[in-house]
Amino acid sequence: MDEARKDEDQQLVARAKEGDAGAFDELVVKYTPRLYGLVYNMTSNHEDTNDLLQDVFAKAYKAIRGFRGKSSFYTWIHSIAVNMTLNFLKKRGRRFSLSLDDVDASIQNDKEFIEATASSSPVREADLSELQKRLNEAMMKLSDEHRAVVTMFHIQGMPHAEISKILNVSEGTVRSRLFYANRQLQNYLDEFRKNPVS
Amino acid sequence: MMDEFNDSEIAKLLRLKRYEQPPAGYFENFLHEFHRRQRDELLRQPIWRICFERTRDFVSSFSLSTLTSYPAAVTAVLVCAAIISLRIYQTPQPPTVAVKDRPVMVVPASTEPEWTLASPVATRVFNTRSLRNITESAQTHRSGTPRYVLDSVPVSYETTFKF
Repeated sequence: MDEARKDEDQQLVARAKEGDAGAFDELVVKYTPRLYGLVYNMTSNHEDTNDLLQDVFAKAYKAIRGFRGKSSFYTWIHSIAVNMTLNFLKKRGRRFSLSLDDVDASIQNDKEFIEATASSSPVREADLSELQKRLNEAMMKLSDEHRAVVTMFHIQGMPHAEISKILNVSEGTVRSRLFYANRQLQNYLDEFRKNPVS
Repeated sequence: MMDEFNDSEIAKLLRLKRYEQPPAGYFENFLHEFHRRQRDELLRQPIWRICFERTRDFVSSFSLSTLTSYPAAVTAVLVCAAIISLRIYQTPQPPTVAVKDRPVMVVPASTEPEWTLASPVATRVFNTRSLRNITESAQTHRSGTPRYVLDSVPVSYETTFKF
């Protein structure tokens, strides 16, 4: 993790612990976009994500005085977000609404998106928006724990070590969950490619 | 042409999901929404819970590890506590003195004694000062009830005249 960001977080946390509400606001503004991506890709629902994020920051605000700094604020706030989301998903059960189906249309104009889909691959052959939809469905078929790992590794770009700290599991567990999740996603998308109308 | 999705292709597809964003203006309003919810929650809570939570937060900020990180301060506090407790337990008790008798106060029978020949004027004790008790008479060279008293001091132990 970027050391400068870590130092900046430490200063903000120290001020927040002394009762500086403005410092905590800065942390909220800083981490909301990143945590939104994490929670949203685990819940696949905007309203749930919004409520969860509000609860995550409310919990963090109450607990900030007890934050000892054994881990970075980054790891700490991500742990709160992941654990609260996993608890929420357990309560919600398998019910979910695929608001991720309504993928932002601007993605398809994005440079990285175009580059990613320009090469010779099954992606180019399939209808892209349909493929995205299938990928989202495949994601939601994963268990909550596997989806969390996939979200953090593939979507958020976190290293294995960071994920293991956030989930409080070994790096080996993270790798094995990732391997299993990749196989499941691969099987699901291959099936879609062979039977596109299914 | 590849017939199967490999890990790299899946990773590319998943990476694209980071471009999925909430509705425009969401992040700008998030902080306002956060403040509003905090205020609402505060208003819903009873006073005792707010006090309890603040006290708990305050106490939790002092952990054992924090205290032990200041050994000199802890040692000083412990030494002071020990000294104070020793002084409290070793405070000398006031000596107990056996009291034989309570002093008997001489009180005139009445504020206006009878004027008889048996009790001449000279024996009157004026209440200009506090009455002396009988033990004070023992400090004089004579024992017995003084017959003449001047300014509360016995001046004569001679018997009164009788006609």
